[in-house]
Amino acid sequence: MNNPFYLLNYPLERLRQHAVIAGLALFTLGCGNQHTTDINQAGVIYCSEGSPLHFNPQLDTSGTTSDATSHQIYDRLLDYDVESGRIVPGLASSWLISEDGLTYTFQLRKQVSFHSTDYFSPSRYFNADDVLFSINRWRLEDHPYHQVSDAQYPYFMSLGLPESIKSVEKINGYRVEITLYQPDSSFLANLATDFAVMLSEEYANMLMQSGTPELLDSQPIGTGPFVFQEFRKDRFIRYKRHGEYWKGIDSAEHLIFDITPSSSLRLAKLMTGECDAIALPAQSELEIIRQRPDMQLEEKPGLNIGFWAFNTLKPPFDNPAVRRALAMAIDKNTLLEAVYFGSASRAKTLVPAASWAYQVDAQDTAYNPVLARNLLDAHGVEPGFEMNLWAMPVERAYNPNATKMAELIQQYLSEIDVQANIVSYDWTSFRQRLAEGHHDSVLIGWSADNGDPDNFYRPLLTCAAIESGTNRAMWCSPEYDDIINQALKVTDIETRKAIYAQANQLLSEQLPLVPIAHALRYQAHRSELNGLVINPFGATRFAGVRKMQ
Amino acid sequence: MIRYALRYLNLMVLTLLVLSVVSFALAYWFPGDPLTNLSGIQEATPQTERFLAEKYATEHNLFVQYWHYMQLVFSGDWGVSFSSGLPLYDEITLALPATLELCAYAFLLSLIVGIPLGFIAGLKHYTGTDYTVLSLSVFSYSIPAFWLALILILIFCLQLGWLPLSGRINLLFDVPHQTGFIVIDILLSDIQNKSAALNDAFRHLVLPTISIALINTAITVRLARRSIIDVMSKGYIIAARSRGLTNNQILWKHGVRNTLLPILPLIAAQITTLITNAMVIETIFSWPGIGNWLIQAIYQRDYPAIRAGMLAVSSFVVILTVSIELITRLLDPTRDKNERGTI
Amino acid sequence: MARFNLYDEEFFPSPWQHTWRTFKQSHIAMTGLILLIFFSLTAVIGPFLAPYDPVEQNTNSLLVPPAWFDSGTIAHLFGTDAVGRDMLSRVIYGCQVTFGISILLVIIAMIVGVSLGAVAGMTKGVRSSILNHLLDSLMAIPTLLIAIVIVAMLGTGLVNSMWAITLALIPQFVHGTRDFVRDEMKKEYVLAARLDGAGKSFLFFQSILPNMIELLVVQATFALSTALLDITALGFLGLGAQPPLPELGVMLSAGLEVAYIAPWNLAIPGICIFLMVLAVNLVGDGLRSAVRKRMSS
Repeated sequence: MNNPFYLLNYPLERLRQHAVIAGLALFTLGCGNQHTTDINQAGVIYCSEGSPLHFNPQLDTSGTTSDATSHQIYDRLLDYDVESGRIVPGLASSWLISEDGLTYTFQLRKQVSFHSTDYFSPSRYFNADDVLFSINRWRLEDHPYHQVSDAQYPYFMSLGLPESIKSVEKINGYRVEITLYQPDSSFLANLATDFAVMLSEEYANMLMQSGTPELLDSQPIGTGPFVFQEFRKDRFIRYKRHGEYWKGIDSAEHLIFDITPSSSLRLAKLMTGECDAIALPAQSELEIIRQRPDMQLEEKPGLNIGFWAFNTLKPPFDNPAVRRALAMAIDKNTLLEAVYFGSASRAKTLVPAASWAYQVDAQDTAYNPVLARNLLDAHGVEPGFEMNLWAMPVERAYNPNATKMAELIQQYLSEIDVQANIVSYDWTSFRQRLAEGHHDSVLIGWSADNGDPDNFYRPLLTCAAIESGTNRAMWCSPEYDDIINQALKVTDIETRKAIYAQANQLLSEQLPLVPIAHALRYQAHRSELNGLVINPFGATRFAGVRKMQ
Repeated sequence: MIRYALRYLNLMVLTLLVLSVVSFALAYWFPGDPLTNLSGIQEATPQTERFLAEKYATEHNLFVQYWHYMQLVFSGDWGVSFSSGLPLYDEITLALPATLELCAYAFLLSLIVGIPLGFIAGLKHYTGTDYTVLSLSVFSYSIPAFWLALILILIFCLQLGWLPLSGRINLLFDVPHQTGFIVIDILLSDIQNKSAALNDAFRHLVLPTISIALINTAITVRLARRSIIDVMSKGYIIAARSRGLTNNQILWKHGVRNTLLPILPLIAAQITTLITNAMVIETIFSWPGIGNWLIQAIYQRDYPAIRAGMLAVSSFVVILTVSIELITRLLDPTRDKNERGTI
Repeated sequence: MARFNLYDEEFFPSPWQHTWRTFKQSHIAMTGLILLIFFSLTAVIGPFLAPYDPVEQNTNSLLVPPAWFDSGTIAHLFGTDAVGRDMLSRVIYGCQVTFGISILLVIIAMIVGVSLGAVAGMTKGVRSSILNHLLDSLMAIPTLLIAIVIVAMLGTGLVNSMWAITLALIPQFVHGTRDFVRDEMKKEYVLAARLDGAGKSFLFFQSILPNMIELLVVQATFALSTALLDITALGFLGLGAQPPLPELGVMLSAGLEVAYIAPWNLAIPGICIFLMVLAVNLVGDGLRSAVRKRMSS
């Protein structure tokens, strides 16, 4: 290790002797930090894990997109309180629910200003027209903006929200009424998610007139704490403070997302102070962060699940017994240790213990390769059977290293004479091909967008979710859909819990996917950074985050 | 003179022609639809598709297509990137200067360190100093540059915390893009904290520059050493010595010029090595240059980007090498055209 | 023992012996040679010596430090990596993959390059000149660029990156051969052979090639160091060999993930590459200066 160091010093020494320092003076200029402090003080750099696909979280459910947009550029009608998980007022200052649970009336906040940028200057405050525009865009198929940017609105579609809303009416400039077809105990939770953001109707109209409507999703205008300035794909996003933010929170003057896909590089940059906070620290590196006095690690139980889903449309994976056999071939506890380094709990059902719907006595599969092989034999899967195992190319809290997990599962499967070929593409094409159902099985997961258990059960496995591309098992069971719908019609928590227990029972018989782990959520930042907290109900928030001297 | 110039021009045009044909053919050789690979527009509507087919003349034979392609290349329309959807011309003109800047500093560093060291070793050849310098240079050019970069990061960034490890400048400095050379851009810009920005940019430059320069420094040392040994044993040096000139006078009057002239083209030829190393090193230091860009493009299977990037980089390298050859030939017409130096 | 020589018989060493004698005198070059032999042996018989299967994962011993650390164990001399694979075994297999393939590539490139160079050197006229110059300029294109293009066409993989490196190695052999053949063609012994009516191919194989062997060996050593560096660089960038294949560059890039908590994952494969390249360069250097000394004496 000493060698390069020594080598490099040597020529420098000689050079000094021969007085050729002039040219080198430039290179040795900089070991002092003091000049950069003032500009460092005014801004916050967050090292994020990837580029957002759009600057509108309505269009994409990935955490990367919502981290970069939802709470920075936009606001929602309602918000989650990070600590209690309760729904609190956002752009709607208050709301009323009718007795029959069908009509919701929202009173909007006044004098909320949109961002003023070099591409748009708002002439009015936020009002009911913006709410109507933002909701109708994904709700109505004939809305002029519905098809813009080839939008799919995956979150809303996977929950079937457009079909459950009867009407969205403007009562007056600051009052909006939403009517549902059926009572839905998770409706408010849905409006508080990262995806239900409020866009500017005035900006949309302006873009439509100039013939460039798709700019709405790439040059965003919102009411949030930060104004979008510049985006360079795979390099950085630049924001500045929104001076007239309605909450009046004192945020950093500049916010930079430094896009750094490798987690080890993110940690390294946190160490050198090139990042003030980092996304998704790798599980293997948590101990280092804990030990360093100049860094802080926040952790919270996460609302997420990492799983192994089988493509139930493809034989032999359409056979529950085959799926059970494969599930029995893997030892989940080893996976937890090797991939999550113990920072995750073993998953038995879809929801983690942090949710009120967690079922303590749910059934789990046990590691038993001998039984697995027998089961495969009984159902005509010969030794030497080949299958592919897709491993997602990115790190997520629910699966920090899918490739490594895939390699381990590959080994387990080889013990029962099944040959698994690991497949990976870049993230965009990976998800595209996955949605088209090219896979046999896939290692992926889900981070909940709101605290409601429906947000696990519905998008992951209902029939409607196949279409919207979140049902990775391609599994469709009317019986299951019935149970999940039933759970939304009641408001009593104990009753709902009992209904979800039925769903768990069905899933443990059918095993369209093998739940593996619920990961803790981590966020690491420099100690001088103040105000950054983990939001277990969605994306990171930078409003009010500042550096302390 | 003119004959030489013409000959080199001829050669350059020929090579560029080959490269442009290859780049055009890549659109066909790469997986996927040639039209998509040329234009970079995926999932085009039938209308756009018709427009593109006309633009690239895909209805016609390959020669006509190539002709259209070349017209577009010269007009700066290189298609758009799959992954970002931005025009490739803009992306490449943003990334290439970043690489060139790095290469320029590394090249300078290798000359400033390498030539004096080579001279010292050569003048004291077959002594301890010589052996030390020589073995150091063998060591230096045996170190894989990318590994060296990692070790430097481990020591100077992570252990000592002296230097930053990624990018060209702290992103909080919003330096507007003008020339693409960060130092020049800072000087041209009207941002506050100019000196802080410059300081920061230099701190970012130190490690990548050293990692890239090391191999070239080692080669330069050996070239300079060999050359000065040869020169100092020449008759005119002995003659000069017999006239009573001191060693220093001999060195400065006869040695330096005659030593440098024959090795200049050889040193210049190392620029290719420099660019290759820079492209690898960029990915380690997240330097936003063309190497990093191309490697990202390959990860994302961004075929139009690879096609255009390959054409841009290889054309640049060819123009550079041929120009260097021409210049050194003009400087030193006595050089045998097949002569190649040894290190 | 008591043999008496009436005549002072003069011993004429062959050129090879001569070179070898000079080479032997340099300790540095000999060290290089010993290292090189060591690596060649490792590449050939290493798999029989490796204590573990290089791709076998052992989740009970993740990131075990090397034996000379306090928490290390002698069971894993060089420690283990992030999925519990034994570093020593991986490095041994890595030598086989990286070193073995590099040698193979150099041989292929040499055969192709020498044939092309011989043709180029023995032909004259415009065609030859165009070929030569084109080759010169195309030689300037970075290997990495060629590799990127090939990988884009054929996909990532060790074999595809091998194509790229071979292509990049060929020009220097063509160059060397062409220049050498051109110079030799002017010499008297070739002229004599030609007057005897030797054909072009006879001329090349019988007269020129034997004189060229030394040059080729020197060139091959430098090509080998280039090949080693290129193959590991492409592996490191993920454009060449793919995990879990124990290729040294691939191991380095995997080590990067745990660079801070397990620096030996980064250090050991790196030192291995460095030593290999160093050995090759030392031998190449020693050979070249030995040849130069013989020529000038």
